[in-house]
Amino acid sequence: MSEPLVQCAGVTKTFHAGELDVPALRGVDFTVRQGDFIALVGPSGSGKTTLLNLIGALDVPTAGRITVLGHDVVRLSRSARADLRLHRIGFVFQAYNLIPVLTARENVEFVLELQGVGAERRKLATQVLEQVGLGALMDRRPPQMSGGQQQRVAVARAIASRPPVVLADEPTANLDGENAEVLMHLMRGLREELHMTFVFSTHDARVVEHAARVVTLVDGKVAKDEDRPGPPP
Amino acid sequence: MIASTLRLAVRNLGRNTRRTVLSALGVGIGCAVALVFTGFRESVTEVYSRLAAESGPGDLRVGPVGWLPLRSDKTRLEGGEAVLARVRALKGVAVAAPRVRVQGLLAMGTHVAGVELVGVDPKVEQQSFRPVRRVVKGRYLAPGDGAVVVLGSALAEQLTVDVDDQLVVTVVQADGGMESALLTVVGVVGSGSRTMDLALAQVPLATASALTGKPGIAEIAIMLDDFAAVDRMQPQVQAVAGTNEVLRWNQVSVELARHLQQDAATSRLMGGVVILVVLLGVASAQLTAALERRKEFAVLAAIGMKPWRLVTQLMLEALALGLVGAGVGFAIGLPALVYLSTHGLNLSALFSSNMTFEGVIMDPILRARMGWWMVPYTLELAVAATLVGSIYPAIYAARTDPASALRSAA
Repeated sequence: MSEPLVQCAGVTKTFHAGELDVPALRGVDFTVRQGDFIALVGPSGSGKTTLLNLIGALDVPTAGRITVLGHDVVRLSRSARADLRLHRIGFVFQAYNLIPVLTARENVEFVLELQGVGAERRKLATQVLEQVGLGALMDRRPPQMSGGQQQRVAVARAIASRPPVVLADEPTANLDGENAEVLMHLMRGLREELHMTFVFSTHDARVVEHAARVVTLVDGKVAKDEDRPGPPP
Repeated sequence: MIASTLRLAVRNLGRNTRRTVLSALGVGIGCAVALVFTGFRESVTEVYSRLAAESGPGDLRVGPVGWLPLRSDKTRLEGGEAVLARVRALKGVAVAAPRVRVQGLLAMGTHVAGVELVGVDPKVEQQSFRPVRRVVKGRYLAPGDGAVVVLGSALAEQLTVDVDDQLVVTVVQADGGMESALLTVVGVVGSGSRTMDLALAQVPLATASALTGKPGIAEIAIMLDDFAAVDRMQPQVQAVAGTNEVLRWNQVSVELARHLQQDAATSRLMGGVVILVVLLGVASAQLTAALERRKEFAVLAAIGMKPWRLVTQLMLEALALGLVGAGVGFAIGLPALVYLSTHGLNLSALFSSNMTFEGVIMDPILRARMGWWMVPYTLELAVAATLVGSIYPAIYAARTDPASALRSAA
């Protein structure tokens, strides 16, 4: 059995909209194991993004316990959570969210620099961009690239320091079917090649096909958690 | 790290060109206005201080101890001639002008005027006393002159005298006796101020001493090579002045000095208001930018950027904006200062023909002062304004909650 990287126990998250309490997660029990390739699915408002934010130490639960890579997120200071994200977790966002004034390579280098990587960061950034198939475009800035290319840069940025866990919130939502397929193949390849763990949320049934495990959230609860047979080639 | 942060900061300025241009323009215009204000303040304070010094007291004034509270002209310097020689030998002293003053009546037929007759050294007086520099009729006093007088044009008009006319002067001597003498008018001077010209009457030093019946020098007006060296030179002059007292011009012309101080304070206040407006403008623009970039800050926080690094990032952007703003400020302010320092600002329409204050003739044309001070001044002002104005926006950005910001942006 793989060692759990993330453990959620009775995790509740409630947002406050004025006088109104809006529950997003209601007692979620959930575990992420080393090497998982998990698709979080469910209707809008079911709590997928909230759960990803909690796993990514971007937020803390209202109640319950969440342990990420051995750290109790609730007990970590803001700065310690930033450290955890910087060194141990990679993020891929739906809207790519690259720094528009930096080139593809500089975007990747930027994260490596934040991590304190020295002179070799340029070489590392080049390597990882080649790995995602963007060796020829690394000097372009995001606005000069297609959505699919930008998302691949975002993946390169997320995996540059080989974090144990990569979280992706609707990574294919802004991509056409072809680019979505390319991205999913890329993520699967990285998982196999680098033994990384991926957790991604999605609405797209074609993307779900690539998952090794599908967790369905409904009304802030885990409605179904099932392993799938091997994904399509 | 700084290099890449700076590179990112500079590139970020190019992201919203219109906002950057408007912000830099705001900073630049503010700097230019502050530059002009300061240029005027520096110039007006210095020019009027010089005018005040050249209107009687000199940069430094050597007088008998106890002269200041009573301002009596009856006392004389201790060892006057020796002190004068020692003062003239000092390095940094351009002119040392000895004087004697005596109150008297000038009469020409039925026309009489009460005046302060000033005995002077003709060789140096025009260098130390600006109002007698412009001779409108005849000539100024010359070495070797005896019973002669130079009058202000308004006084000559009042007494209905012209060059070569003779006047009767009557003074009260030190022992209380009355002394009268005939003085020949050799010249008429025009200071530019009717008030001052009504009170101007100068005779050779020896003639004044003879009239008062009391030998010696009552005061020495000193003009320095460098006006700014007044504070430094005062103790040096005091060291050679013996028991006499050395006063700075602003200790003698107290009201004018106070007026100039108030003027400078008002000018600084105006400059402060300009800087405050610039600062608030920068803060507003930077805060708007921070609000627009909230999602970006959330992403940076999400990928692990520490709050202090985000603050550094934004402060470097502010620094870059400040440098651009300084360039704009210089580009706008320099031509304005060049014009105002060469052509000046003519205020004569706002005043009567007599622009005098405490016996000092004011120049109605205000000229701004230029100099290398403008470069660091503009840079410091622009950079300080943008940095201070960016503190709150930077803190706001650093406190962005990534989850909340990303949720709002979704």
